[in-house]
Formats: sequence, structure tokens, C-alpha cells
Amino acid sequence: MARPKVVGLSEAIGQINDGDMLTFGGFTVWRRPMAAIYELIRQKKRNLHLVEVNGGTHDDMLVGAGCVGIWESSWCGHELYGKFGSNLARRIEKGEILYEDWAHIHVLNRLTAGSRGLPFLPTYAAMGSDILNPENDNLGKAGLRDGSNPHIGKYKYVMYKEPFTDSEIVLIPAANPDWCITHVQTVGAEGTVRVDGLKFSDQEVIKASKHNIIIAEKIVPEEYLRREPTRNMLPGYLVDYIVELPWGAHPTGLFDVHEPDGEFISNFFKATRTQEGFDQWAEEWIFGVKDHQEYLNKLGINRLESLKANPALGYSSTMKRGSR
Amino acid sequence: MDSKKGYAKPGEFKPMDLLACAAAREVKDGEIVFAGTGLPMLAIMVAQHTQAPTAVCIYESGSIDGRPIDLPTSVADARCSYQAAVADGLTDVFAQLQSGRVDLAYLGGAEVDLYGNVNCTFMGGPTGKRLTGSGGNSDIHSLAKRSVLIMPQFGQKRRFVERVSYITSPGWKIPHWPDKEWVPKKDVYGPAFNGGPAAVISDMGVYRFDENGEMYLDTYHPGFSAEQCRENCSFDLNISRCKGETLTPTYEELDLLYKVIDPEGIIMK
Repeated sequence: MARPKVVGLSEAIGQINDGDMLTFGGFTVWRRPMAAIYELIRQKKRNLHLVEVNGGTHDDMLVGAGCVGIWESSWCGHELYGKFGSNLARRIEKGEILYEDWAHIHVLNRLTAGSRGLPFLPTYAAMGSDILNPENDNLGKAGLRDGSNPHIGKYKYVMYKEPFTDSEIVLIPAANPDWCITHVQTVGAEGTVRVDGLKFSDQEVIKASKHNIIIAEKIVPEEYLRREPTRNMLPGYLVDYIVELPWGAHPTGLFDVHEPDGEFISNFFKATRTQEGFDQWAEEWIFGVKDHQEYLNKLGINRLESLKANPALGYSSTMKRGSR
Repeated sequence: MDSKKGYAKPGEFKPMDLLACAAAREVKDGEIVFAGTGLPMLAIMVAQHTQAPTAVCIYESGSIDGRPIDLPTSVADARCSYQAAVADGLTDVFAQLQSGRVDLAYLGGAEVDLYGNVNCTFMGGPTGKRLTGSGGNSDIHSLAKRSVLIMPQFGQKRRFVERVSYITSPGWKIPHWPDKEWVPKKDVYGPAFNGGPAAVISDMGVYRFDENGEMYLDTYHPGFSAEQCRENCSFDLNISRCKGETLTPTYEELDLLYKVIDPEGIIMK
């Protein structure tokens, strides 16, 4: 059995090539591999093809930094911390990025089909929406459905009259990203992965991907995780690289460990209303720090302490959240 | 103050309070409800504390029947999973949605039209202002038995239109792809048809849909008139079936909102 390699963050991210198709574990502003996002930007990756069940602060950041050639997902925003992903919005409005809109189930189907070795998976979701309007097949209109790119299907989707109940159904093509990067609470020394809290669509996106980088709050002895195998999510042979990096999900949240840093995300959203604003923000928080350790030092212990979760609840019981 | 069950008088509540309470009243006891961040969370929680104690709330990130003791601020918030029956993931809950188990869903949007089509992708179509995109809005609106839209309206008639500029989420009348023919939703969905939009609740009134899937005014909120509701639509709203004023929040509901559900003042500032 191939064992994953334990490496530093820059070495792991160094394996990713320009033009690769990427996806990420997590959900909107929860459990995103943010340290890896910063490192992708520092290493100036270009022309990445993102396919994501949903986006969030992380993919808007990659788009702002000019790393993304094609964005395919159902959503991009910052939850309550910012109305929409302004870097993505700006580039779409200016025609500076190729994008494909999907409904949630559509992208989930793409990656689930990919994880099961199937060419497609059907769904009834969003029939009659402009997501499925042939005029909005942007990759098709760009001439990219000619079979030359293995990550781009011949069709965005196919309407099909299925033979069992004679209903019309949408066939959604599989996606098999080159890489999935996932932040988790715990990984064993041999790569067994444990996620506490919601799994979101991690199992689907990880199994659909050819290569996996797992970034963990902590690496623990395998024996510890194997005492309770029903709590584990993945066997180690699915993992290529392990990076141990506490707080690597900041500013997104991590169940049982820390809250999302709402103020940080909200400041990011405000700064990124213009490209110049994003560039300045990136200069300060990405290029201005040499690695994740410096980033954490810049945030400071008090800020990080204020985000810490109460393990009895899985979230912070002391953080000031509202007006009362 | 009147008894707890009494209805608050104008001036004793804010527009947001009425929105949350009117939305809460759409839930029947025992229903399976999909809710999103913000007002929908308040609405399902008010309903669970009043007329619908056995209603179950599902969040699209995967938590089922959580019993939060602190108000969550997103559907993946750890607070949603507190004391949940199951906290798994998207495949589980979206599969339940597709198989017709979801009775009621709360959604929002930037634009809604006469047929309950919703836009949260582009204001003004694909060359217009970019918004977040569907997320689960499209899936949930297309596959829940009933959906309730919560929308701002007063002074924003561009949000209530005859045809949305981009259909993120399909209502009662929709195009059939690829031939573009406008047909009733049921004709497109066939055996997968579960229902469609049941109500739109704005800061001005409560709207429902008739036999033809067209929106009409059901009740207007205190302080507004049926005519004002029509003036704040970009199409000729049917006000002939209007039943009068929307019931105001009860004192019990207001107590729940400010003291039990959101004592921190996160949404109910």
C-alpha cells in the first residue's frame, strides 16, 4: 500500500501545475484549506480550472489573484460576511474569466459520478432554469467542448427521456479533478482521515480526484484513529500528501476547533470591491508574509484565542456576535 | 401588555418582526422544512416554538433536526448540528429533497416574477450585475413541495417583475429546454413534480399563486394598502383576491424572537 508523504505546505502545493483542475473540501466559509489557497497565490499558479460543489472566500481569493482560468460551481459568496464574491463578479462582468453556472445537485453529481467511476449521474434539479439554457453553455460557446481537454465534457448536460418511467431527466457529466485539497481536524501517520462535524461533500470530491492533499490540525499515531474506525472518513491510500498545519483553515471555521473569523472575511469583502483593493489586501496578507507561521504571528494570539471553540459545544461560547 | 397570545399593535413591532412571523405561520406541525441563513432560520424556530413543535429542520450542508441553543449564522455553522439527529452531508439531504421528502422550503432572491421564478445569479441577465449564483436555491425551489420566498419589496419594484432577467430557480411556468417553449412546471417535471412556490412574503404583503401559477396579493401588512402593494410591482398585480391585513406578530412570537431565539441580537438587532 502506498503511504502518503508528510511534507511542508510549499512542497505539497509545488506539485500542482498551471492548468490543473482543482476542487476543495469544505462548505462555503467552513473548513476550507486557506493556507493552501495563500500558497497557491504565492506560487503564482495560473489558468487553474476550478470545479466546486460551492465556492466561498477561498475561490474568490484565487480568482482575484488571477490564478483561475475556468470557474465552475453553484455559488460564490461569504455567507453573512459579504453579499457575493466580488472578485469573481468583477471578472465575470468584464468577461475576464470563463465560467459555468450549476445548481448544487449538478456539481455534486459531477463529482459523485467521478468518485464512482461513472460517466454521468442524472437529476431532476433545476429543470427549466437558465442554468440549463443552451445559450448559457459558456465553455461550449468558447469552443472548448471539442474533446481536446479531458476535463471538459462534449456537452454541458444532456436532456434524456429515461426508459423506466418515461420522464425527462438531466444527465450531468462526471468530473475528475487533478487535485483536491482538504483541511481536516485529524490525520493518522499512515493517512487515515477523520473529520469531526459535518462531512459536507468531502468524500465525493476527494474520491473523484486523482491526487489528494490533506492539511490537518494535527497528525496522530494511526493506532489512535483505528481504535474507533467508524469515526473515520477515508483510508490513507487515497491521500498523496499530508501537511500538518494548525489554524490552516483561518479565516474559515473549523468544527470543534475555531469559529470563522467573520471580521476578517468581511474586511476582505470590503477591500475586494476593486482589483486595486484586492491587490493591496493580497500584498498585506499573502505576499507580505513569507509563510503560514508569519501569517499567524500577524494575526496575533489574542485574535486566534477569541475564535477558539468550546469543545462541549463545538463552537465558541464567549465570542461577541450580535448587538446585545 | 395584552396576553401573550394577543396581537401586537402597529408601532410595537418592526417590519422584520412581521416578516419572520408571517413566514413562521407557513409551517404546519410535523413538516420537513429546508431553511437557509438569516430570516428563514428565525421563521422555522418560531414555528417550532408555537404551532409546529414536531416540524423538522434540515440545513443543506447536511444537519438534520438540530436543536440549536444559540442562533446559527450560516447553514454549516456548528450551532446547526447541536443535538442534531444526523449531521452528515450534502448527498444525504439533497437526495431526500429529490425524492420528495421536503414539505416546505424557505428561500430568498434578488428578483421574483409573476410565476414565482427566482433570480439570484445575474441582475439584468448574463451581461448584468453578477450575484452569488444558485447555491441550493434552484434545487430546493424546483424539488420542494412548497417554497416560501422572503423578499424585500418596498421602494424596489424592480425586484417584483413580470419575467425575471435570469431564471436561477424555476417557478410555476418555465421554459422547456432546448426548445424554449414556455410550459407549466408539471409538464417539464413529469413524475418528479413535487409542487412549487406557495407564497412570497415581503416587507409589504403576503402573495400566493392561483390555479394558473400566477401571483396574487393575499394580505397586505399594516401600514400599507393593496394598491401600494401593486404599485411596488413592475407588473399588473392581481389584488382582487386580497383578504385584508396580514395578522401582526403576537406578543409571544416577539418574545421568542428577541429573548429566546436571538437574544444576542444577531439578526433581530
